[in-house]
Amino acid sequence: MTIGLNAFLLVSGLLFAIGLLGVILRRNTLVIYMSLELMLNAVNIALVAFSRYNGTMDGNIFVFFIITVAAAEVAVGLAIIVALFRRRQSVMVDQLNALSR
Amino acid sequence: MTATQSLLFALLTPLASAALIAFFLRRRGALASYVSVAAAAAIFVFTVLAIRGMGEGVVASWDWLTFGNFNVSMGFLFDGTSATMLTMVAFVGFLIHVFSLGYMADDKARARFFGGLSIFMFSMLGIILADNLIMIFIFWELVGFSSYMLIGHYLDTEEAAAAAKKAFIVNRIGDLGFLVGIVYAYWHFGTTNLSEMQGIVAANSELISATIAALLACGFIGKSAQFPLHVWLPDAMAGPTPVSALIHAATMVAAGVYFLIRITFLFPESILCGIAILGTSVAVYAGFCAYGQNDIKKILAYSTLSQLGYMAAAFGLGYPGIALFHLITHAFFKALLFLGAGSIIHGCHHEQDIFKMGGIFKKMPVTSITFLLGVLALCGVYGFSGYFSKDAILIAAGLQGNVLFTLLTIGALLTAGYMGRLVWIVFFGKPKSEAAEHAHESGVAMLLPLIILAVLSVAGGYLSLWPEQLGQIIRDSKDDLHHLAGYDAMHFRVAILGSFAAIFGLLCSLLFYGWGASEDRLEKKAGPVYGFLKARLWFDEIYGYYVAKIQQRLANLLSVLDIFLIKGVLVRGSAGVVGIFSMASKSLHVGNIHGYVYWFLIGMIFFWVVATGLF
Repeated sequence: MTIGLNAFLLVSGLLFAIGLLGVILRRNTLVIYMSLELMLNAVNIALVAFSRYNGTMDGNIFVFFIITVAAAEVAVGLAIIVALFRRRQSVMVDQLNALSR
Repeated sequence: MTATQSLLFALLTPLASAALIAFFLRRRGALASYVSVAAAAAIFVFTVLAIRGMGEGVVASWDWLTFGNFNVSMGFLFDGTSATMLTMVAFVGFLIHVFSLGYMADDKARARFFGGLSIFMFSMLGIILADNLIMIFIFWELVGFSSYMLIGHYLDTEEAAAAAKKAFIVNRIGDLGFLVGIVYAYWHFGTTNLSEMQGIVAANSELISATIAALLACGFIGKSAQFPLHVWLPDAMAGPTPVSALIHAATMVAAGVYFLIRITFLFPESILCGIAILGTSVAVYAGFCAYGQNDIKKILAYSTLSQLGYMAAAFGLGYPGIALFHLITHAFFKALLFLGAGSIIHGCHHEQDIFKMGGIFKKMPVTSITFLLGVLALCGVYGFSGYFSKDAILIAAGLQGNVLFTLLTIGALLTAGYMGRLVWIVFFGKPKSEAAEHAHESGVAMLLPLIILAVLSVAGGYLSLWPEQLGQIIRDSKDDLHHLAGYDAMHFRVAILGSFAAIFGLLCSLLFYGWGASEDRLEKKAGPVYGFLKARLWFDEIYGYYVAKIQQRLANLLSVLDIFLIKGVLVRGSAGVVGIFSMASKSLHVGNIHGYVYWFLIGMIFFWVVATGLF
């Protein structure tokens, strides 16, 4: 049995929606961060699927770039979150509103 | 050293001295005073050097500012006239500096005073040497500033502060006309250089413009305190006495007359006539006013006004040389009189009321004798310097017509009268106050300038004693006068009348006021007359009324316009519009990450809508 393109896109879309909702609704910076990664990977799935069904390598190459950038971003982002927690003893976004004051 | 370099040094030395005092010596009064006196001595030395090397005259010019093809230059036009004036200013200025050493010895703000004297000398020399109208104007304003600064020297007294302000503001009115005159002259002649304008006018005398002459004369009216801007000069006596001698008798007020002499060629007959009438009326008016004054310096101030009137009359009659002659002799004897008054005031512990003095002659013999010589010169007694210059003016007036001649002779009579009043009351009789009782003769630093000036007041009128380079314009004017028909008869008449006026005035004042009087007999016997003289034709009151009732109301109206239109609508309005925008954009800034995510999403949707062409 072959799985159609639409199934991949559906999974990708669902993952992206979950990620977006996570970013919008969750208060914990760490979880928001994970949701961001989820959105990136949702895009990855879509790209790989397009690549597979088109028979070209363009999407796959793009995915490699995204994974690399995401890895670098995680290294920096997690470090920022750790530093933030050390300084303020909290990673909840509703407490990180110093800019509005 | 060339003459140009000498002039440059003479001009810049006092500036350097003023800068030195202002920046480094503000708290070291003694040192500052020596620096300033040394600068004044240096001016005199450089002046002598410049005159010895001047030859036919020095013309030098440097570009100062260039805007497109309009060029402001700074330059020297050093001819016989300016050499004469420069010598007088340098010499009298130096003597007054020396006098100030003694007079101001106990003053707390000596450094400021001597710095002011230096900056004044710089500005005055600039006027004398300037070769174009713009440069004259710049230095003209600078003398105005130094005058303001020095009148207000005793700045903790209300009187001095108000007088300084008054002098400055009244001068501004005259200077407005002057400035417009310069612009008009530039537009009319295409240059403001004195020699070039003279060349243009000489080539085509139709180019002489009465408007330009009248506008430029406005500057003279302000600076030389003529009608109707004369009100500042008597008030300016609130300054220290050496300042009154230097600025308000010998040099700055005379600079107005000097300026006229420099631009004689621009004056048509009509304006000259106006100036002659103006000068004559001031000469008589100020003579009357002097009778209503009890302050020794104010009497001398009105006398200065009156003598400036004589100079203006001489100029207006077409004899600039004689105006210069009277300017120089007046500088000698009026500086002497003011310094003498300063010496008396100093000796009497700053008492200025003549009715509180008396018996000064016995207490201060040197001061008194020199002062009396000055009085004789001022009254134009035969043989003294004032005789030669004043009689030349009277002859010129006499050959012109009877009205001016009569008025000027009355002026001479008045002069002798009020000076006699001052002399008899101050010097003779018994001391009439504690201060006069304890009067003491002043020190050498104050007496030496008095003696030198007394010699000059006596001998300054003999032109043959003057150095050859100086006073050529005076000799020319006198020669012109000599060649007029009826000169000899008029000379005889004037000599008789002038001497009669001097002697009669002095005697009458003695008979009327009495030997060492303790109160003003005129005030006692004829109160209304005295009150009328004291009121000085109510000029100050009229100006006060005008300023308070008319000008102030206009100013209030303009202020309302300013507050509502400019401040309210334009300034506040434009700031308000920006403020509303900023409030709107500030509300977007919530400080919460979720808020920004929503904005980001909205932005994305917006771009998506635009990109897909749905919108």
